[in-house]
Amino acid sequence: MSVIRLHNVCVDLPVFELSGRSLKMHLARLGRRGRIGKDNDGVVIVRALDDLTLTLQEGDRVGLIGRNGAGKSTLLRVLAGIYAPTAGQIYSRGRIVPLLDIALGMDELSTGRQNLRLRGLLLGMSNAEIRRKIEEIAAFTELGDHLDLPLRTYSSGMRLRLAFAVSTAVDADILLLDEVIGVGDASFMKKAEGRMLDLQSRAKIVVLASHSDTVIHQMCNKALWMDRGRIREFGPMDEVAARYAAAQSAG
Amino acid sequence: MFATALRDLRSSLAAWRLWCLLGWLEIRQRYARSTLGPFWLTISMGVIVGSIGVVYGALFNQNIADYLPMMGIGLVFWGLLTSIINESCMAYINSAGYIRQTATPKLLFMLQAGWRNFLIFLHNFLIVILLLAVFGSKDWSTVSLFFPGLVLFILNALWIGQVAGIISARFRDLPQIISAMLQMAFYVTPILFQPGMLKDHRWIIDYNPFAHLLELVRGPLVGAAPDTLTWTVGIVMAVAGWLLALALTERYLKRIPYWV
Repeated sequence: MSVIRLHNVCVDLPVFELSGRSLKMHLARLGRRGRIGKDNDGVVIVRALDDLTLTLQEGDRVGLIGRNGAGKSTLLRVLAGIYAPTAGQIYSRGRIVPLLDIALGMDELSTGRQNLRLRGLLLGMSNAEIRRKIEEIAAFTELGDHLDLPLRTYSSGMRLRLAFAVSTAVDADILLLDEVIGVGDASFMKKAEGRMLDLQSRAKIVVLASHSDTVIHQMCNKALWMDRGRIREFGPMDEVAARYAAAQSAG
Repeated sequence: MFATALRDLRSSLAAWRLWCLLGWLEIRQRYARSTLGPFWLTISMGVIVGSIGVVYGALFNQNIADYLPMMGIGLVFWGLLTSIINESCMAYINSAGYIRQTATPKLLFMLQAGWRNFLIFLHNFLIVILLLAVFGSKDWSTVSLFFPGLVLFILNALWIGQVAGIISARFRDLPQIISAMLQMAFYVTPILFQPGMLKDHRWIIDYNPFAHLLELVRGPLVGAAPDTLTWTVGIVMAVAGWLLALALTERYLKRIPYWV
């Protein structure tokens, strides 16, 4: 049973001014504290998520919607376990895989094949799992002999193919996506779409942040409308998306 | 006690393939397409050892066969210690991209810095072998003590690195402060000079933990078994230091993604 439960989760992001990072300023402030009493710590705090209570269950295909800065990406990071909530609890069961930046950690000097391995390890695959899948991944990229050349000789389209192929080979119970991944030319696009659907069907829970109505309608059965760090609405996709669209056009 | 920190340490150790690979890739990136690669470091270290050996040997009126191995081996190990500590300061800061995009264990990045510098040290170790081959050791029977000494030495470097790495992620002045302090420590640690030269001022090295750490690895190689005090200092520092590092990790591990 895969599940994620959030209970009164808050996330406060510190925005360090240049001075906030400095040990000197910190110590100087310690000295002043007695006299001035309440002193700004030099660190601005932004409440990115405010009191979220939410349960995601198996079968949920959740579309995250909301304006820029509503907290969608922060919520994905909390679900992924990257940000520990500053208040509240999170409980999760199942293997969570965030695909937030699929090109993360690619090494320019390594060959395509070596990069497949590196990405696999970063995605949390075991060595055996990588060895089992690498031929299938290599075939999917259609890069052929290029796979034995260093990555710095690749075009941006080829890089994307490589990153996409290995990232979508992962087995996830809970899959977290920030915008749908767009890839290369039209013929590969078709293939990529099929693979993306396959990846999502293998996962038990999918959370997808997107600004595209079409994508949300195609892929999701529920929608979570975020507004200034809070949950505005969470429910069946059709209803929530319709009300969100209405609110948007009303300004 | 330290449940979060220990869990992170365990999963970091389990991901050894990842940090070994990342550490190795960094070395390769730095020396891409140079024929000698990291051996350039060995060569430059060798040149330094040779020139300091001649000048300071003459300055201090030392017998070169005694002075050169002491100083050369000291310099190689001092390089290992300071590079682990200095680069651990940047371990979390420089891995911000990974830390903010994936939920990997965190100590992995400190182990990566340690591993990278250990690999560089292995290249420099050629100098140690060369010095021992030319000048020999006063007593070869102590060489087996080198291995437990090296383990203690590295354990100590790693906890200092972890403490420095966490605090540096929050306070960005710390890397500079630490590198200045290590520079100072270099001059009060018997590397360029020998302990005997201090005469009445031996307290300078008796109270210097770095001097003891260095003796743990250098002593066995040059044929002087470290005394009980040195072993005790090494072990107590490693245990107490790791407790401190784990306590700090337990307290601040979850803040690291917010800081980097």
